[in-house]
Amino acid sequence: MDDKRTEIRRIIKDTKSLPTLPGVIAKLGSMAENNAISVHEMARVVSSDQVLSAKVLRLVNSAFYGFSGRVSTVSNALILLGVNVVKSLAISSSIFEIMEKNVVGLWEHSMGVAVAANVMAKRLKLPEPEETSTAALLHDIGKVIIKIKLQEDFDHLTTLISNKGLMMIEAERELLETDHAEIGEWLAQTWLLPEKLIEPIACHHNVEKSVVHQSKTAVVHVADVLIKASGFGFSGDDLVPMIQPVAWNRLGLTEAILESVIEEVEDKLVEVKNFSLEIQSSDEPKT
Amino acid sequence: MQNIPITLAAPGMIMAKEIKASDDPASMTVCGKGVKLSESLIDRLRQMGIQSLFVEGHPIALEGETTLEEMLAALDKRFIRVAGDPLMVKIKGMYVRHIQRSMGAADGR
Repeated sequence: MDDKRTEIRRIIKDTKSLPTLPGVIAKLGSMAENNAISVHEMARVVSSDQVLSAKVLRLVNSAFYGFSGRVSTVSNALILLGVNVVKSLAISSSIFEIMEKNVVGLWEHSMGVAVAANVMAKRLKLPEPEETSTAALLHDIGKVIIKIKLQEDFDHLTTLISNKGLMMIEAERELLETDHAEIGEWLAQTWLLPEKLIEPIACHHNVEKSVVHQSKTAVVHVADVLIKASGFGFSGDDLVPMIQPVAWNRLGLTEAILESVIEEVEDKLVEVKNFSLEIQSSDEPKT
Repeated sequence: MQNIPITLAAPGMIMAKEIKASDDPASMTVCGKGVKLSESLIDRLRQMGIQSLFVEGHPIALEGETTLEEMLAALDKRFIRVAGDPLMVKIKGMYVRHIQRSMGAADGR
């Protein structure tokens, strides 16, 4: 009885049916593996797609990474954030273009989680806070796939959630025999994203499952809970899940740290709301 | 005190927190606490890339006409599944305190 699951896997494997990513991203991926290629050559590749580089810079300068308006070139973005992050930003900006229009609530939720993850990673002095933000930005990417590739099921999920008071993930498991975390994992693998982004996407509802990138996964999990608690954006349901004890312990969180993280995040969410409104208004067709 | 996006700032509002030129607390103050906003000041702040500011009272109803009571009721509803978990109850308390503070003692409405 795993017809639905097989069907979804097939959809993900059939890259032709997926939202297409700019050719630049594939090129960037292969360049990143070649040590002989300089950052400036990579920057030239990204810059060749003007729309894409504008979007990447817009994301880099948003509240998620804390550079607020100081990154003006793609080379700077590559040096500050690293190739993997820029590649993921390019992917997220392409994907979010679909999200912005279809699911504004989910886009805001994802941005909120990215900000919360960044604040928490920095507060806990964890390595690579930018990578953690990027993983957080992409954590619900599986939901986007359900929304755009399985529209009927998505509507059905929405009904299930409101009628039975379920969380999105419970409704998905009931209806699809899989969930957005697993779908996101398949998608991230198809796109050849690095493992440090795949694991938080795959395990953000089951932190125990993460083995290599435990702290990134735990941060994304806690950040997700905080943003749901805050009521910022809309992830599909409005129920706050429990912070898994394993995540709390792995991060060595305390109530005092968490309270100060919440204060800082809530301040920054105003900027995120601004950013989202700006993007929505700038994307409106000019007539 | 309310944190509002600059797009909603209006002449007459009073700054509740100063704005610094950068995240560095040692940097120059761009606009001091207690300053009354004017059209030209708002324009200047916008040109400097300031995205949000803290103003006195609670002049803007950001999400429709949500009142403090409604915000707290919505918070209760969101936490319904974890109401029996001691840690989550404490976290809910942190949000209650935040909401009460952000709505300010001097609610504008």
